[in-house]
Amino acid sequence: MTTAQIDIFQTLADPSRREMLHLLSKESLTINALAQNFEMSRPAVSKHVKILQQAGFITIRDIGRERYCLLSQDGFTRLQEWISYFDKFWSNKLKKLETVLNNKANA
Amino acid sequence: MQNSIQHSYFYEQPLAAVWAYLTESELIAQWLMPNDFLAEVGHEFNFHTRPMPNFGFDGTIYCKVLEIDPMKKLVYSWQGGPEPGVINLDTVVEWQLQEKDNGTELSLVHSGFTADQAMIFGIMSEGWLKNITKIADLLNALAS
Repeated sequence: MTTAQIDIFQTLADPSRREMLHLLSKESLTINALAQNFEMSRPAVSKHVKILQQAGFITIRDIGRERYCLLSQDGFTRLQEWISYFDKFWSNKLKKLETVLNNKANA
Repeated sequence: MQNSIQHSYFYEQPLAAVWAYLTESELIAQWLMPNDFLAEVGHEFNFHTRPMPNFGFDGTIYCKVLEIDPMKKLVYSWQGGPEPGVINLDTVVEWQLQEKDNGTELSLVHSGFTADQAMIFGIMSEGWLKNITKIADLLNALAS
């Protein structure tokens, strides 16, 4: 549940965080290597990384002496679920409209 | 990655009957959701449904009528978020009606699942497999 409490859309609303995901889609990076791409303080980068992690877009793994940021499917799956939710929502509603119209016609 | 949802549905009723169910508040409520819709461009209204906190959605959909072409087309915005004043779902719903021999075809396009979100999916579709391979490589390098 911890990841579910972070808003995936708020997470993606930030351009730096989107850029981080973009960079991580090409290769997994250490937080230091990631930070080199941004003109912000290392703590600021860490904060963004933490938000991405909590929202389920990345995981952090210790590999050797380094901490690597890796993309994670969870956050992306939830985005997809949200859009699928509306897809199903509308098919149910359109069917319901049919029932309502038919009932009215027969009344 | 799709960033719009499309549906079309055929109804045996005449176009005017279907149009009424798209544009009269009480009729809309019978199949969609409770609402305070008015068929006037610029009118702001809400739909109410159950909240989904996991998706940052509090159950209120904020809408504004953007376009009405009577008996043909209706467009409204469709926004939502985790609390009043915070919008993270900023989309548009467009309805179109077409008269057929024995009924009416209704088409729906729900679009605007944002470019950002679509972009992220674009990245994923190219990047994900490569990334999996990369992780495997890193882990293998570590193991050897």
